[in-house]
Amino acid sequence: MKSKPTLDDLIGVEHSKLGYYRELQQKVAEVEISNLELARRQRQIQAILDGITDVMMVLSLNLKIVSVNHVFQDVFRVPEPEGKFCHEVFRSAPQPCSSCPVITSRESNRVCRHLAIYPVDGQNRHFEITASPLRNPDGKPCLILLLMRDVTLEKELQAKYYQSQRMATIGVLAAGVAHEINNPLTAISGFAEGLKRRLPRIEKTIDQELMDDFSEYLGIILKECQRCQEIVQSLLTFGRQTCPESSPVNLNNLVNDTLKLLQNQLKQYRKDLIQVELDESLPPVQGNESQLKQVVLDLLFNALDATQEKGAIILRTSSGNGDWVSFSIEDTGYGIPSEHMDRLFEPFFTTKPVGKGVGIGLSTCYNIVDQHGGEIQVESEEGKGSTFIVKLPRENRNGSLQSNPNPGS
Amino acid sequence: MELRKFSIPEIIFGRGSLRYVGRCARRIGAEKVFLVSDPGLEQAGWVDRLTETLEEEKLRWVYFNDVVSNPRDLQIEKGAAVYRRERADVVIALGGGSPMDAAKGIAVVASNGGQIRDYEGANRIQRPLPPMVFIPSTAGSGSDITQFAIITDVRRKVKMSIISRTLVPNISIIDPLVLQTKTRKLIIAAAIDAMSHAIESYVSNIASPFTELLSLQAIGLIVKHLHTAVETRSLDSLEQLSSASTVAGMAFSNAGLGADHALAHSLGGMFDTLHGLVHPVLLPAVMRFNLPECIEKMADIGRVLLGRRLGSSEATALGGIEKFEEFCESLEVGVHLKEIVRDKSELPNLCKMAVNDACLLTNPRKATCEDLLQICEGAW
Ligand SMILES: [Fe+2]
Repeated sequence: MKSKPTLDDLIGVEHSKLGYYRELQQKVAEVEISNLELARRQRQIQAILDGITDVMMVLSLNLKIVSVNHVFQDVFRVPEPEGKFCHEVFRSAPQPCSSCPVITSRESNRVCRHLAIYPVDGQNRHFEITASPLRNPDGKPCLILLLMRDVTLEKELQAKYYQSQRMATIGVLAAGVAHEINNPLTAISGFAEGLKRRLPRIEKTIDQELMDDFSEYLGIILKECQRCQEIVQSLLTFGRQTCPESSPVNLNNLVNDTLKLLQNQLKQYRKDLIQVELDESLPPVQGNESQLKQVVLDLLFNALDATQEKGAIILRTSSGNGDWVSFSIEDTGYGIPSEHMDRLFEPFFTTKPVGKGVGIGLSTCYNIVDQHGGEIQVESEEGKGSTFIVKLPRENRNGSLQSNPNPGS
Repeated sequence: MELRKFSIPEIIFGRGSLRYVGRCARRIGAEKVFLVSDPGLEQAGWVDRLTETLEEEKLRWVYFNDVVSNPRDLQIEKGAAVYRRERADVVIALGGGSPMDAAKGIAVVASNGGQIRDYEGANRIQRPLPPMVFIPSTAGSGSDITQFAIITDVRRKVKMSIISRTLVPNISIIDPLVLQTKTRKLIIAAAIDAMSHAIESYVSNIASPFTELLSLQAIGLIVKHLHTAVETRSLDSLEQLSSASTVAGMAFSNAGLGADHALAHSLGGMFDTLHGLVHPVLLPAVMRFNLPECIEKMADIGRVLLGRRLGSSEATALGGIEKFEEFCESLEVGVHLKEIVRDKSELPNLCKMAVNDACLLTNPRKATCEDLLQICEGAW
């Protein structure tokens, strides 16, 4: 039984009409606290987003840019991209691209990955694109999140890796073949020498005309054997991881010496065909002088072959920033077709007519530079010319070759 | 004097004040109103007039009219369910004591949960109620002003008093125009109820200077204007009755009532009697019973009723009581208890219930069950 009301209850001094003020105050306080918490989480999420080094953008379903992160601005430098169509921004195209990962993701409601090349600052760059649908509570996509990672560097590294793998395989193969040929070749040349030595002994018994033929044929056999042996010798260097004697080499001197060496051959060309731009402050590199001289020679011969009468060849040395010293040779020759670029350094790959070369020069250069811990790069445009750049590591204090992947093994 | 407290709602009083309902509701935060009224007011067109003002304020509403005279607990709980289902936010009641008390009950259950009987007694409501705007259609109950709600517990046949300052409505809009469509019987019953509120609150043992003036004011207005109001239906006299009912409500909400209302509540619970018609029967007997404890105050009432003092205070007091009886007889209402309670053997039960009523607390003379029985016998 409830207690019966009293007179004091009726007067109710301590009882007032209840209002929502206190509840409101409590609610306001709660909302403030949860707002602070939300703001903190917001900052945390923002920090995480800012920490992402990929280009990140949110697109509406009709491909309009809703928002972008700061990396977008760092990479593409498009002022106020919000509200523009993505194909406008990336391709200056009025229509969506034919294979658009955003559309695929929107239609399939799944994550879609894609590789694409966009021009950035005049250079084509590779991007790995991931489009993921942002879904509303009933699971339908309402926005698309686009992540773009610049994989140009990875692509280049990958290409270099494949290149060196291929070179190594071919090198082993070539050396093996050379070795096998070397023995019969030695026999041929040895027995040909023997025949040549014995030739005078039958001189009196055969007529002079036959004698002259024998003598001439043996001479040809021995000359061609000599040529084969030279090829075999250079092929054998692929298989060997030689550690030739190395010393500090000044590339400027190297260039000048090479030109002096060729003085006689160069007389047939225009005097100003070859120009030289040398960096006077060039630091020395550590290396084998005669091998490096061969690289300069090979590249110079190639350039001379490629260049017409009125063209030009520029030899440059420079010490770029970092640990590299480089030598480059630029010609205004006929250039290299892009389909040949990949195979340029393979042994026996040549575009020269039969008898003009066996295609060992560039692969030898590649090998030598590789053993020096350096790189050869080619820039070429068909019909306009080519530039070969040889980058070698700067000599360091303890005198050994830098960043050589296989020192002395 | 001990501590006293006085609280009343905001009051808008005057002809045509009904048109402010929408704006008031909007001002206290309404978006969807829970509107309580009854079929009689619908027919008279007042419900439409009210909802027009809601429309003007672009407010939505849900209408509830399942209310009878002496509103019942089950109706309250049904109304509260509708309120919650419809997500209403402000309670508006248009009507006499019954729709207004029902609206209070619905507001309590809707915001505090449970059943209405959980809140029987004083100060049991713990949580705020939805804002309330009440428009009385009778000049009588005072529910638009007071901290009381009277709801019938059907199973126990008891009228429960729910008392809380939180039950005081936020805004009371009193428009005398609404009274014009009421029947003669309803106008009389309401006015006599208001008169009884005034008389009982005046002699209450917690009456204060704030309530006493109001009580006397109400008595004077009713005795002066009721006849004219009933005969001519003149707007002036109806307005005076509205005013009287309002000030009586202000008085008794803060000073309480007495034995007459304790018995009236029990009669309503047991026999579903029209509340206003109980007072002509019981109040004179209660006044005679109380007289020894408050001769001077009874004399004040007598002076107002008679318009003058008689020789002594006692004579004036008794003269007043007789005048009240004459007044009721002249209005052709029943003045004998046997017209309400057919069977005299019901009286002990009636008194047993009344002796527990909260109204008895403020009766100036302590009354036992036996005393109440004597009063009933006297009124038979
Ligand atoms: Fe009453």
